[in-house]
Amino acid sequence: MSFLRLEGLVKRYGDFTAVDNVELSVEKGEFVSLLGPSGCGKTTTLQMIAGFEEPTQGRVVIDGKDMTAVKASQRGIGIVFQSYALFPHMPVAGNVSFGLEMRKVSKEERKRRVTETLELVHLQDFAHRFPRELSGGQRQRVALARALVIQPEVLLLDEPLSALDAKIREDMQIELRSIQQKVGTTTILVTHDQSEAMSMSDRVAVMNEGRLAQVGAPYDAYEYPEDLFVSNFLGKSNLLEGKVTARDGDGIKVRVGEVELEALDGNVALDEIVNVSVRPEKLHLTAPKDGKLKGQVETRIFLGNHWVYQVQSPIGQLLVTQQNTGQESAREGEEVGVSWSMDGIRVLAGESSDG
Amino acid sequence: MAEDTARSRILPPYLLSAPALLLYLGLFMAPLVMTLMLSFNSFDFYKGILPGFGFGNYLEVVTDEYFHEVFLRTFGISLAVTLLCALLGTPEAYILHRMRNPWKSLFMLAILGPLLISVVVRTLGWALLIGDSGVLNEALLGAGLIDEPIHLIFTTTGVIIALVHVLIPFMVLSVWASLQKLDPAVEQAGLSLGASQFTVLRRIVVPQVMPGILSGCLIVFALTASAFATPAILGGRRIKVVATTAYDEYLNTLNWPLGAAIAVLLLIANVIIIATYNKVIEKKYAQAFQ
Repeated sequence: MSFLRLEGLVKRYGDFTAVDNVELSVEKGEFVSLLGPSGCGKTTTLQMIAGFEEPTQGRVVIDGKDMTAVKASQRGIGIVFQSYALFPHMPVAGNVSFGLEMRKVSKEERKRRVTETLELVHLQDFAHRFPRELSGGQRQRVALARALVIQPEVLLLDEPLSALDAKIREDMQIELRSIQQKVGTTTILVTHDQSEAMSMSDRVAVMNEGRLAQVGAPYDAYEYPEDLFVSNFLGKSNLLEGKVTARDGDGIKVRVGEVELEALDGNVALDEIVNVSVRPEKLHLTAPKDGKLKGQVETRIFLGNHWVYQVQSPIGQLLVTQQNTGQESAREGEEVGVSWSMDGIRVLAGESSDG
Repeated sequence: MAEDTARSRILPPYLLSAPALLLYLGLFMAPLVMTLMLSFNSFDFYKGILPGFGFGNYLEVVTDEYFHEVFLRTFGISLAVTLLCALLGTPEAYILHRMRNPWKSLFMLAILGPLLISVVVRTLGWALLIGDSGVLNEALLGAGLIDEPIHLIFTTTGVIIALVHVLIPFMVLSVWASLQKLDPAVEQAGLSLGASQFTVLRRIVVPQVMPGILSGCLIVFALTASAFATPAILGGRRIKVVATTAYDEYLNTLNWPLGAAIAVLLLIANVIIIATYNKVIEKKYAQAFQ
């Protein structure tokens, strides 16, 4: 029996359906990310778990108890807000201690637990500072300490890292993950940043237009996207429209333009119009005669550890990434070959590509 | 050349502020200085105002118990009105803050209403409402809830009620401005940590809007202490405050110098109270608010 269950959650505002029949089961101690573009309903879902929004339909169940009608203040959920929402008129210790005071924890116990939690987030020396005297990263840690000190059954993180700059954000991702593993709190992270979701979570739940598009381990969701939206939203993809021309045994053939591509069997029928998805890193550049396709480099961008190429080919423009191996790479205007291995190609049922 | 640019840089700000400055000097500073000078003159029933310089008027105000009573009453009323405005205005501002349009605009208009009506008309309205045979008493008598009219008109209570009505917009606006700066997630944070709605208000919202409440108090206090029309009409001859007393000296006794001295003393008392208040508040909240 899973620890946190969202059962058929629906939230409507007038005619607009913000969250549409979301079903999600989270195991105890698991770290799950709700990932999606802005307006996909992920924050509304979080607000319903927290008890700040009432679901139009469906239930929120925590540890076997139906929480749908329970007030936010009685749910025992720790929340880290996007804006941190620290109490500006209280010092760090006061902020962290607040939840314990509300639980009528004795003074000595309070002091001990506040110190303990501040040590966990490496802020033991900042207990008497006010929030405005701290940096963004430090405020973030105070917000986390404040949410964790009450030993919540569920920890909700609402875009917790979006206000930090890139370098600190990466450090905090690693730290947040390790703290979460140490305390073992069941955690839901809401984010629009796919790399953040993939780096921290056990599973990602990709949301689009109020619905869950796919739930799975980051690797599975990335490698085996179930639809166009997921394939496009998690990382980059070359998407090519084609028609299934042959099926035999394990393989199928898809005609894209004038070229026939071989792929492993997908959930598609003969003659169906499909989308072929190839990740840029699954393609590699070769000498013109060695590739499966010939192409010409249009532009290339150097990103330190890798190059990004735009290659014009008979099946359309392709995005290709190559590791920077220290050797001179193909230049703009150069004729190249493009090659790939068959298992790098995904064939998705063809809807109109709106993603 | 360098001098020219220096001058062209210094001049515009002065030129731009000149109209306002002239207005301020001519219509505010000049009468104030004239009042101050007048307060040092003396007065005789038969000869009128006698030029000269003396502290006689001030001595009279400071030593006469009648004036003590008037000053104490004025500041007593000011204190009561300020506290009531804070107690009523803060929740009012919070409720307004949480409302959505169109209700928000509608209630905002209702709160600002008193400021849009002429002070005399509004006060006469209160007189009609709370008079011994006014609407309120007639209604209560008619309903059999009371046997004889409640005396509100010509009492301190009546004056306080009417002043709270007209001054509460200043408190609401001041607190409301502070509430605008409040991060809505802060209240949710409080709730998620197990605090009740009331505790969130008491421990999290009110401390953060304290600067708004305090500056609202300051405005309300200063305006009550110098209020004239409301105490004059609703207080009648019995409930004299400093402003109405100064008015009487000017227009009934014709003792302008004494009236001027009373006005100057009111100004000084007000400035001292406000300055002290500011100092104490600044010291107390220097840490938490910047």
